[in-house]
Amino acid sequence: MDFYLGLLQIIGVHTILGLSAYCVLLTGQVSLAQAGFFAIGAYVAGMLTVLAQWPVIPALGASAVVAGAIACAVGFPALRVKGLMLVVATIAFGEAVRLFFFNFTYQVQAGHLMLGPHGAEGFRQIRYFPEHGWTTLDVMLFIWAVVALVMAAIWWLDRSRAGAVLRAVGEDEFAAQSSGINITAVKVSAMTIGGVIAGIGGGIFAHYTTHIEHVQFGVVLATFAVAYPILGGLSSVFGTLLAVIFIQGFLIEGLRFMGDWRNLLFGALIVLAMNVRPRGLLDAGTVLALKRLIVSRKD
Amino acid sequence: MVLDLQGLTKHFGGVRAVDGIDLHVARSEILGLIGPNGSGKSTIINLICGLFPLTAGRVVFDGADISNQPTHARVTLGIARTFQNIRLFGQLTVWQNLWVAQNSGEQRNQNFFWRWLGGSRGAREEIDRTLELFGLSHKRDELAGNLAFGEQRRLEFARALSAKPTLLLLDEPAAGMNAEEIDELDIRIRNLRRDGITVLLIEHHVELVMSVADRIAVLNFGQKIAEGTPIAVQADPEVRAAYLGTAAAA
Repeated sequence: MDFYLGLLQIIGVHTILGLSAYCVLLTGQVSLAQAGFFAIGAYVAGMLTVLAQWPVIPALGASAVVAGAIACAVGFPALRVKGLMLVVATIAFGEAVRLFFFNFTYQVQAGHLMLGPHGAEGFRQIRYFPEHGWTTLDVMLFIWAVVALVMAAIWWLDRSRAGAVLRAVGEDEFAAQSSGINITAVKVSAMTIGGVIAGIGGGIFAHYTTHIEHVQFGVVLATFAVAYPILGGLSSVFGTLLAVIFIQGFLIEGLRFMGDWRNLLFGALIVLAMNVRPRGLLDAGTVLALKRLIVSRKD
Repeated sequence: MVLDLQGLTKHFGGVRAVDGIDLHVARSEILGLIGPNGSGKSTIINLICGLFPLTAGRVVFDGADISNQPTHARVTLGIARTFQNIRLFGQLTVWQNLWVAQNSGEQRNQNFFWRWLGGSRGAREEIDRTLELFGLSHKRDELAGNLAFGEQRRLEFARALSAKPTLLLLDEPAAGMNAEEIDELDIRIRNLRRDGITVLLIEHHVELVMSVADRIAVLNFGQKIAEGTPIAVQADPEVRAAYLGTAAAA
């Protein structure tokens, strides 16, 4: 049972991470900085609950604010470059963040224990949940409440004028500018929203694993973050959720019985999925067909 | 005077795409801009919009020098355009294409949340009215990319008007249209004058330009070779030479 609860936790946290990349991707920018914002959120929230004894929810709020502010600051210079150059620039940022935490030590004596981040050793004993008597089920439910909140917020944003503007910038920057849209402001806003969401995801991640270290926040995680929305399709937030379930639930856990062959099949299946559904698992056509199906049922 | 181009110059490397153009457009005037392919017409529109920086010269709009303003700021000042090769937001619906373009006029003065998240009832009604006017009401929830060619042209025209321009730049709006659609376009352009909108019209379709334009300027190799009423321009020997070759003029 705990295995499935743990899997649900992973899927929840990765959905939040994927949604942070989804917001940025809507404006046509591929950002590999999301793992960096995720790391910042993880360390900020962890330090606040462990060292400052904050409750978890305000700590998540703080990690959202810090990661969002850094994403906004990174957005201005980074978004001057486009396409592959932006990918490289954001990888550089993500690695800089990782290496910062590789070298970052700030420990406090608590009884016979040393608490706080300890460079390459990582940040151990982020024990807010067990100390406050949360069961694995409680944690899982908490994670999914946050996932639902984030998904609802982005779903609603997607349907507002702001969502249409984000997509317009993603489709044709020339035409967007010529319609009076300040594309720099739009891209930086998208980056900031992405940072806020990644910060929340990172904060949750730190608390359910109880132990974080720099290697977890490398390029692989950054690649996963953009792979989810790309694989899932950009027509709806549910595509990202579907892609996380497909990758984490099926490809990683479901194929574990295959041993070393799993990794080979993993790559092959993603390539296959992208070939069968080039616009993502849940593309605009599928969404429309589903809507029609629901409407016809009602009649 | 709405638009005043002073010594407008743009060089791409060694190519003098636009070479010292002086051009004035009066309020509510329809100015036709014609010339052979590659004579610099589209470049002039791109320079007025600020899509790339000037090599030399100034763009003066409503008495203010806007040469250094970014594109989106010029739109909110009242300059909107259409593109020669249609550039709609194909994955957005017809309705959303107009929604996205509401960045000027009273829409701009609304508070932040209304402007970006909700959109006032006034704004929504205005979109519905514009769609009605352009005969696109029945397509409002269709993806713009799925429209027929003529409908796409109409939608782009409607999107440009959603930005509430005082100056509209039309870059070959009749390209690819049939005779019936061109007649309709003719009426739409004339109606703009009634609404007090100034028009700069680039068009290869000579009949349309001659029919709607108050004045015509002719470009060749980035320079203005003639300017005047349609009749005067048609009779100009230099214009005939540019279009038909020098041998014909001789």
